[in-house]
Amino acid sequence: MKRMWTLLAGVLATTLALTACAGTTRAPSSAGSTFTYAFHLNVVTEWDPAVSYSNESIAMANLYESLTRYDAAAKKVEPLLATSWTKSADGRRWTFTLRDDVTFHTGRKLDSTAVKESIERTKKLAGGAAYIWDPVSSIETPDPTTVVFDLAYPVALDLVASSGYGAYVYDTQAAGTGDLAAWFKKAKDAGTGPYTVDTWTAGAETELRLKAYDDYWGGWTDQQYRAVEFRVTPEVTTAWQLLQRDDVSFVDRLTPQIFEQATTTKGVGTSETSSFQNLLALYNTASGPMADIRVRRAIQMLTDTKAIISALHGAAAPADGLIPPGLIGEGDASVKPDATVAKKLLADAGYDAGHPLRLSLTYAQGDKDQGLYVTLLGSALKAAGVQLDARPMQWDAQWTRGKSADPSQRQDIFVMYWYPDYADPLSWFANLFKSAKDPYFNLAYLEDASVDASVASLPKETAIAPAQAARSYLDLQRRIVVDDAAVTPLYLIKYQRAYSADFTGYVDNPAYPNVVFVHDLRTK
Amino acid sequence: MTTATAHPVAVRRTRRRSPGLGRVLLRRLAHAAVVVAGVVCLTFVIARQLPGDEAVTAAGARATPEQLAAARERLGLDDPLPLQLWHYVSGLARGDLGTSLHTRQPVVSDLGRALPASLELVGSAMVLAVLIGLPLGVIAARFARRRTDLAVRTGSMLLVSVPVFWLALAVQLLLSTKLGWFPVAGEYDRVLDSTSPLTVYTNITAFDALITGNWPILLSTLHHLVLPALVVAAYPTGVVAQMTRAALIEESQQDHVRMERALGFRPLEILLRFSLRPAISPVLTLLALIFAYTLVNSVLVEAIFNWPGIGTYTADAIRSVDTPAIAGVTLVIALVYVTANLAVDLTQIAIDPRTRKS
Repeated sequence: MKRMWTLLAGVLATTLALTACAGTTRAPSSAGSTFTYAFHLNVVTEWDPAVSYSNESIAMANLYESLTRYDAAAKKVEPLLATSWTKSADGRRWTFTLRDDVTFHTGRKLDSTAVKESIERTKKLAGGAAYIWDPVSSIETPDPTTVVFDLAYPVALDLVASSGYGAYVYDTQAAGTGDLAAWFKKAKDAGTGPYTVDTWTAGAETELRLKAYDDYWGGWTDQQYRAVEFRVTPEVTTAWQLLQRDDVSFVDRLTPQIFEQATTTKGVGTSETSSFQNLLALYNTASGPMADIRVRRAIQMLTDTKAIISALHGAAAPADGLIPPGLIGEGDASVKPDATVAKKLLADAGYDAGHPLRLSLTYAQGDKDQGLYVTLLGSALKAAGVQLDARPMQWDAQWTRGKSADPSQRQDIFVMYWYPDYADPLSWFANLFKSAKDPYFNLAYLEDASVDASVASLPKETAIAPAQAARSYLDLQRRIVVDDAAVTPLYLIKYQRAYSADFTGYVDNPAYPNVVFVHDLRTK
Repeated sequence: MTTATAHPVAVRRTRRRSPGLGRVLLRRLAHAAVVVAGVVCLTFVIARQLPGDEAVTAAGARATPEQLAAARERLGLDDPLPLQLWHYVSGLARGDLGTSLHTRQPVVSDLGRALPASLELVGSAMVLAVLIGLPLGVIAARFARRRTDLAVRTGSMLLVSVPVFWLALAVQLLLSTKLGWFPVAGEYDRVLDSTSPLTVYTNITAFDALITGNWPILLSTLHHLVLPALVVAAYPTGVVAQMTRAALIEESQQDHVRMERALGFRPLEILLRFSLRPAISPVLTLLALIFAYTLVNSVLVEAIFNWPGIGTYTADAIRSVDTPAIAGVTLVIALVYVTANLAVDLTQIAIDPRTRKS
């Protein structure tokens, strides 16, 4: 027995000593030509670019390309697979001219037929964000580098074509005579992007590895990363430690405290960018106490967005209106907090100490930032004699309650994030504020004929007269936020990134959330 | 003692009533099957009765009405609940746990990847717990009610009560980031995939590396395993140390110990040669249950160390309201508990045949 214990102790000590002496083998991130992205969730849930609509966008954007790309800093659509495009005067006919030096990873040359086939397949599958192509009634291919889209109604198709979801051009013949959907499921790609799939191991820590596509039309230099790895790193503190040890090149999210530390850490670069994702408090304009506009205005005035943003310590940016900076139509459409006026409005609406107002609110379970807003709002309302019954819920439960056919079952305040699928502010208005018999995402239940008319005319305006559309969007925001008091835009999520200082060229483009266009980077 | 003084006929009756090992095993298996069936039904019904709509998770938070309707039809959510349960149970009988709404992969294959990684981590932790906890318990018992005993008891109490996520973050910060002795996270250095590719048989990386003689990956895996295994081992180590100490002290009050002392055996010799074997039985019994508990308890450790096990998978499933995955994990955990209990029962029967009667 004594010998057995000695032996076991020896084995343990030897193992520990051996492993400790082995030293950490440095991950090939900055040391080699591999860019390692520490992402907080699983990366790929869907390989088919036609229906992909989730986390995998961070990989897809390096595998696939679309006809155009949106530059949020310049508020401009830039060429990508298309070198140029024109539109008819009525905005219903768009002609794109393609690059003629592009090949898919399958070896096939990109031409107008390939573009037509991929967009038609995406439309046909009708999954993910395929709806973005709904306006397209037909696609013509007069020559190999020209694609002509005829639209059922005018939209800014250059913006549609820049979408990070559903707009990728891919080789529909990649599987030959086989089933393309099944082919994609085997973790294969058929894009034109700078990288192609090397390995994918579902559930593994290093889930996905991409390698350079040698024949990429954009070419390669010695300063570019030849491989990309995605490491699933749920814990922020772990991601931050991995970055400090140079085990990863990029961390997509940090806590404000760690971000503050990162800004002063040698060898680490940081970036802060306002996203296109805003948190909205949608007010029930159709039933319950908030159907009275005086109550809605009072709640708007009791909502101190500056205090919320301050309490979030840098994780949020001000949202002056519904449309975030970087999109057309942005501008101030906010309501200033004023507790005195709010109390007067509530009194006018018939609420006082003897007849207190009770409001129900639903928000996302587990979202600490939303929880903070709810706490601050609850305090402000309590001071004004209003009782807030706030319920954290899973999204599907919250949404189901919001869509309830029985208005008495719905909440008074619905808190949710919204972001556009592509860089067009129409997404907020068409989805959230256009009247509908059965509520879907329009959870303020707004019925305003002038809003509906604007929503109907704005796509055409955006297509043919963007400057005028920008003014119309600003007016529309003021109509909904100020005149209808249907919503309070609370704040914009701020992206806080940290990355290795070993490379340059990183631009955080909110039109493509969390995406790093790795080919654009240059190692020092 | 009782048998020796009892009437011979009564002894024979008692022996006849004592069921055979096969019957006991069958009875235990039947109990286990009832428990598992109960867990399956309960999990399914609770999942279906929760407020919300599984189709939203399947089709995505921004699904169009048409996409939602298609998801409802595909998942059979419009069917009556008993029919849905029947489809689920008949699927289980075919080894089909459904498809994860989050990973879009069969839950069976997801668990087939995640469970071995957790078993590797928790198994290593349990080995560490025995290797460290048992000697500590022996030492504490040997020096009972002295300073050494107090130190062991205090230490083991700390190990049992310290929050596992705090310990994980602390050792990660100190031993990885500050001292650089161990990797921060991960299962092994993935750069080795290109230089020493691993042939996978069991998905237990260290085992696969060992049986294929892939020493670079084996060494790297052990190196990566040290910190998470130590953290996961904290709780079972404390429990094993305390249980061993208590069992040995109790054993030291038995008559045979007085006789061994009288015969001139040294205290440590008495502990190791005569007391440890009978005292270790309840500790081993407890280990099986601690194993199952530790498997569940390792969720946060896996997340902090990027260990791709069932804990990480469960956290993702819960976060994304992935009902099939949650049900699959629940079933697996239930199976682990049931198997552990069964193993305990059988071990006890092997050690003490009298327990067959119960």
